[in-house]
Amino acid sequence: MAEIVAERYTGASIKRSEDPRILTGAGRYVDDIKLPGMLHAAFVRSPLAHGNVLSVDVSAARALPGVVAVLTGADLEAMTVPGPDPLMALFGAAGPTPEFTLLATDKVRLMGDPVAVVIAESRYLAEDGCELVEVDYDDLPPVVTAAFALDPSSPPLFANLGDNIARPHSRNEFGDVGSTFANADRVIDFHIDVHRHQNVPMEGRGCVASWDADLAAMTVYAATQSVHITRTGVATRLGIEPDKVRVLAGDIGGSFGLKIGASREELAVAAASRHLGRPVKWVEDRGENLMVSGQAREESFDVRAAVSNDGDLAGLDVAVVVDTGAYPGMGMGAMVPDIMQAMLPGPYKLAALGFESTAVITNKATYVAYRGPWASETFVRERVLDLIAKDLGLDPVEIRLRNIAARTDPPASMITGRPLVGVTTVEALERVAQLVDFPAFRRRQAQARAQGRYLGVGVATFIEAAPGPRPEGPDGALGSESMRLRLTEDGIVVLFTGQMPHGQSHQTTLAQIAADEFGVPFEQVRVVVGDSDVVPFGLTGGSRSATMTGGVALHGARDLKAKVLDFAAYLMEARAQDLLISDGNVWVRGDPASAIAVSEVGRRAASGQFGADVDAALEVEATFDGGEGGWSGGTHCAIVEVDAETGLVKVERYVAVEDCGALINPAVVEGQIRGGIAQGIGAVLLEKSAYGEDGSFQSATFMDYLMPTTCDIPRIEIEHLETVPLDADVNFRGVGEGGMIVAPPTVVNAIEDALSPFGVRIYEQHLPPARILELIAAADSGQ
Amino acid sequence: MPDITLRVNGATCAGSPEARKTLADFLREDLDLTGTHLGCEHGVCGACTVILDGRAVRSCLMLAVQAAGSEVTTIEGLAPDGGLGPLQQAMWDSHSFQCGFCTPGFVVQATAFLSDHPDAGEQQIREALSGNICRCTGYQSIIDGVLLAAERNRER
Repeated sequence: MAEIVAERYTGASIKRSEDPRILTGAGRYVDDIKLPGMLHAAFVRSPLAHGNVLSVDVSAARALPGVVAVLTGADLEAMTVPGPDPLMALFGAAGPTPEFTLLATDKVRLMGDPVAVVIAESRYLAEDGCELVEVDYDDLPPVVTAAFALDPSSPPLFANLGDNIARPHSRNEFGDVGSTFANADRVIDFHIDVHRHQNVPMEGRGCVASWDADLAAMTVYAATQSVHITRTGVATRLGIEPDKVRVLAGDIGGSFGLKIGASREELAVAAASRHLGRPVKWVEDRGENLMVSGQAREESFDVRAAVSNDGDLAGLDVAVVVDTGAYPGMGMGAMVPDIMQAMLPGPYKLAALGFESTAVITNKATYVAYRGPWASETFVRERVLDLIAKDLGLDPVEIRLRNIAARTDPPASMITGRPLVGVTTVEALERVAQLVDFPAFRRRQAQARAQGRYLGVGVATFIEAAPGPRPEGPDGALGSESMRLRLTEDGIVVLFTGQMPHGQSHQTTLAQIAADEFGVPFEQVRVVVGDSDVVPFGLTGGSRSATMTGGVALHGARDLKAKVLDFAAYLMEARAQDLLISDGNVWVRGDPASAIAVSEVGRRAASGQFGADVDAALEVEATFDGGEGGWSGGTHCAIVEVDAETGLVKVERYVAVEDCGALINPAVVEGQIRGGIAQGIGAVLLEKSAYGEDGSFQSATFMDYLMPTTCDIPRIEIEHLETVPLDADVNFRGVGEGGMIVAPPTVVNAIEDALSPFGVRIYEQHLPPARILELIAAADSGQ
Repeated sequence: MPDITLRVNGATCAGSPEARKTLADFLREDLDLTGTHLGCEHGVCGACTVILDGRAVRSCLMLAVQAAGSEVTTIEGLAPDGGLGPLQQAMWDSHSFQCGFCTPGFVVQATAFLSDHPDAGEQQIREALSGNICRCTGYQSIIDGVLLAAERNRER
């Protein structure tokens, strides 16, 4: 036998093990679940943004053949345990907790608010039943804007709060804000708005709940980012012991922060299944998804910047108001100001930051996490830098290079606290400048303008704590991540992870890492996800999995290997330290002829032939705290052309230079980056969750809520920087959110540059053609 | 409920769907062909695309009874048993997809397009797929997969 040369998978664009099933229609999504006796649910929803429910008459619906049950808010209140959203209960909320029932009882608080659920033999019949439910409402004045919500005269959505404040006003200062502003050459004021838009996974929310009356146990087939958080929600609100709730998840058609925990509808479906003793399915349609699943952003910022005449940004003073919508689910809307505050300095050597925040409640959909939930801090900062550069006649790259903290040892810290260890923003900016060749672009821009064509270039930078630098003390930046690993009797290395992938390719990337570390072919590793009875606690979100789960896969595979080698040493009558595993074989160093297959080791261990003095249980539990951690980050650049006649914006070129540490699978990383950028381009040019003055929702179809398609998104050029390893083993960093964080300011900066001949200044994020034309017209008329 | 007969993925299928039942729901619920996905049910996202008598159609906008007598190919019918067809293989090689929910629609739409336009270039492919929505990828990897399949087909 020849010396074995191990193949190395980590760092290569290994083809995804998820793809064969996905490409052939064999993926198993929640709507593909079909159980014997399964019923279907549809919800009766409020046509009003704000109103009192006077009466609900379900008699005609109950009489419809095929309808099995109609449950009102009052019915469900009697079947469930009151309490906050499970995620809010888990993480805690910053402000007072509004009290509300699972489905509306006395009051509806947004258009689409569920009032009753119809359970029938088919979805068609359930929807027929919904049409027969008669609800009498009494209109209340809708609270549609944050400004009205802040007005003490606005009618409170939640009686127990008395006003519409989800998070009371607070102010924090870092550095000497007063003297920084007093000593500044100039102080510039802005108001910046970020519009409401949303996750829009191609698969909406949904579940199948199946109550087993004999076992008094619930099984929920879910589309969720965490089977355990969903289990907690179902167990808590239905009053079932958590071990009697099993949550299973198969393939999930995207989420981007939306599908966490158990939604009000999903809890109602679970309660209905228990009530009826039959499985019940609910999968939301696109109208429900757009109207009520959750929406994001909608923040407004009052910004003051303290600037020197040379372009040093010494201080920022920022006041944000977050519009959290109607039901402060998971506390995200009230929690997000804290992350914005921490991240606002970015990689810049800001000397002072004042930050104040308020979160309000309105008659709109709930503010949820959406890919980089705090991203508006990057939008504000990168917009402000360009606005200042314009005032001072500086180049956008120059003003950034001037203000970015140099990489020093010890590292500089953000004024809000965290050290900027290993941050490569300068390298990324310089590389972008090389790739784009700004002088050549400026010449082309000038020629184009002479022909009445408006080209523009924009850059923006970001950093993301994915996981972030290791803090002082015993704990990692993002807590810890667990994994169980086992060598089966067939020689398969099985990883049980609480990650719940919904596009992130974990079944491939974690197998790459474990295969390398353990020493088996990629095909000999399985990654088990999506069963709360089997996998450890976990959550896919917050760009945590690359470091945290990649890291625990590496350390866990190392631990399992040590255990396997101890057992193999006994089998092979060798010392464990003399044994190696590679390419699926265990062998004595220097003696390839000694090799036995890992599967043989697994088979022998499972044979039960060994006494108590031999540990043949080839299984380990591993945890990882993120090690030394580190920042992800990068610089993006867009070149756009704006048609001043039609207002249409074409993204001609897009360059991303990113640093997410060591790449596990470059094709997967680049897919994450491009997908995030596409969402950012969509957010600026197309997407808006629109409400009328009466609180009516006006973008409930894909003909109103416009999604970017193939012709809107250019080829995206990506370069990776891998400059600063911090940890001995684990330097993979999260990359899921960066594209969506930095693309909006990149594109808006480019549009403003294109429109500079008109003198346009942009203080908002949503720039569809009609708005571009308004901006040009307003600038022309000197407004 | 009307009785209908149609051919789906080469096999003759009979059913008695309600007149109002969409072709998508008939395929998914009555024939258990759950590879055809529903992403919007109003004809915009393209996830439910199937080939009907040689043309790519949105099965959410058609009634099952309208497909009576037709020849329908769904995502399940594109690959040889247990394997991948050439386009699916090229998409695997190109890391075309992430969550996979839009995938059947893209694969079916691109299959129909390539069979009529084997020499298509990038811009033509982009336009041909501009009626399908993917939220994960930014499209480039999908376009690359279709381009790779076309290139391999020409070399064959």
